[in-house]
Order: sequence, then structure tokens, then C-alpha cells
Amino acid sequence: MRGLSHFGEAPWKKFPAWLVYSLLTILLWGIWGALTKAISSDLDAYTNQVLFSVGVLPVMAIVLFSGRLTGGVSRRRGILYAFITGILGGTGNIAFFKALSEGGKASVVVPATSLSPLVTVALGFFLLKERASGYQKVGLLLAIAAIYLLSL
Amino acid sequence: MHIPLWLVFAMVALVFWGITGVTQKLSTNAISTELSFLWFGVAMIALALIVLPVVVPHWHIATKDFWLAVVGGTLNSLGAYTSFAALEKGGKASIVIPLCYLYPLLTISLAIAFLHETLTRLQLLGIFLALVAAVLLSQEAPPQTDRPKI
Repeated sequence: MRGLSHFGEAPWKKFPAWLVYSLLTILLWGIWGALTKAISSDLDAYTNQVLFSVGVLPVMAIVLFSGRLTGGVSRRRGILYAFITGILGGTGNIAFFKALSEGGKASVVVPATSLSPLVTVALGFFLLKERASGYQKVGLLLAIAAIYLLSL
Repeated sequence: MHIPLWLVFAMVALVFWGITGVTQKLSTNAISTELSFLWFGVAMIALALIVLPVVVPHWHIATKDFWLAVVGGTLNSLGAYTSFAALEKGGKASIVIPLCYLYPLLTISLAIAFLHETLTRLQLLGIFLALVAAVLLSQEAPPQTDRPKI
């Protein structure tokens, strides 16, 4: 760990932007997770996905006025990947709920599907040629164990 | 060999969600977070429009559940937006996504505080591991030029 080497550095250098946004994601998804616990289990997968999509609209409206919708290295490629993200994410949501409604026990389905970051790590390594630091490698192992345990 | 249908659906969710981490990164490599999110949202709505006439969602639900699902969608979308931003700001998909997926750490804490849920020993261990993992995942290797000469 770099620890002491940070002493005297400006706070924003200690916390890179990607880390701040990642922690914000934990905060938002963490609250979302608690909120969904309060929703009745009567709500089926498709209704949930449709209402979920309604919830996307206000954020899309804000983004529309951001002034950052132009430019980009390759707009066609970027838009295609973003669109695929939405389709795969939404289909994954439906598949998750279908797994539960088709007789899969929540005690098996939830921990098993929570390990999806393993797929991201593998694809990141092989497709994007991403490499982790030594500490991050240990962190990945602990994170996967933690994600699994927290889903039990 | 008989593979139960629920297992097929679970595997689809696992793989599709896993791939989205990479497609998010590929998208923000090419365009802004905002444009990426906008098209992510368009796809979500397109999927909802496909689902709507095919399965006819049941609308006889409690008002509370309706609004909880919608607000949940908004919170989740804001989280999707910030995860796009984390990737655009140079975060690696293989680090950012596992880090973001530690969110149950907060969910469980909130559920204990507000929904009066109890904590199992395994979840307690999970919270401890998640905190250590978050600190370790945040430790990027310093650039080559910054390394002290030995």
C-alpha cells in the first residue's frame, strides 16, 4: 500500500475521480438495494422491469441537458456498446427474476448471480488487457468472497 | 443431462451482467458518460416496450410498491450513471465493477438500521472482507515514472 507516500498530497490526488464515482455508485446502489427489500414479492419480473425503466426517465432527462452529448472518438461504436449494455443489463434483470420464479431457490440464485463481476474481471483481463496491481489482485479475491458472503 | 430452467436463467443473468461491465468500459472509451448513459437508457426503455405487449405486466399492485419500484429504478440508474463516469475517468472495468458490486455492504447496514433485519456471522465476515477489499481495490499501481529509483 502506498499509505505514507501520500502524506502531504492534495486530497483529490489521494482519491482519483474513478474511485470517487465508484464509491458514489456503492452509495446509490446500496440505498436502491435497501429500497427493493421493502417492495412486495408479489411484483413480478416484467412489471418490475417496466417500472424500473420508468425510473430511468428522469435521469435521462437531466443527462439530455448536460451539454456533453457531442464529440467522442467513435460515436457509432460507443453508442452501440452503450445500447448493448442496456439490453444485456435489462435481459439479465428479467432472467434473474425468471430464475426465481421458475423454481430456483433464492439462497442459490442470489449468491450465484452475485458473482457476475468474475465474468467482468475475466473479460477485462483477456479482452481489454487490463492488469491489476498486487494489492488490487488481493482486493479482487476478497471482494468476490465478500460479494458472495453478503448475498447469503 | 437435465439442466433445470431456473439454472439456465441464473447463468444468463450471471453472464449478461458480467459482460455489461466490459461494454460499459468500451462505450466510455469512445463517447462521454452522458451519451453512454442516454443510450443505455434508450435500450432499457426499448426492452420494456418489447416486454410490455408480450407478457402484459399486472398493474394491480399497491401504490407503495409502484413508487418504490420507480424510485428504485431512478436510484439504480443514477448508480449506472456514476459507474459509467468511474470508467470514463480511467477506472478499469475489472476493478470498478467488483468495487461497485460491494454495495450490499451498505444495503445490509441500512436494512439493519431501518428494516430491523439481523446480521448473520457470515454477513459480518462479508462486511469486514468488503471493507478491506474496497481499500485494496483503490490502490492503483503508481505510474512507472513515479517509482522511486533504487
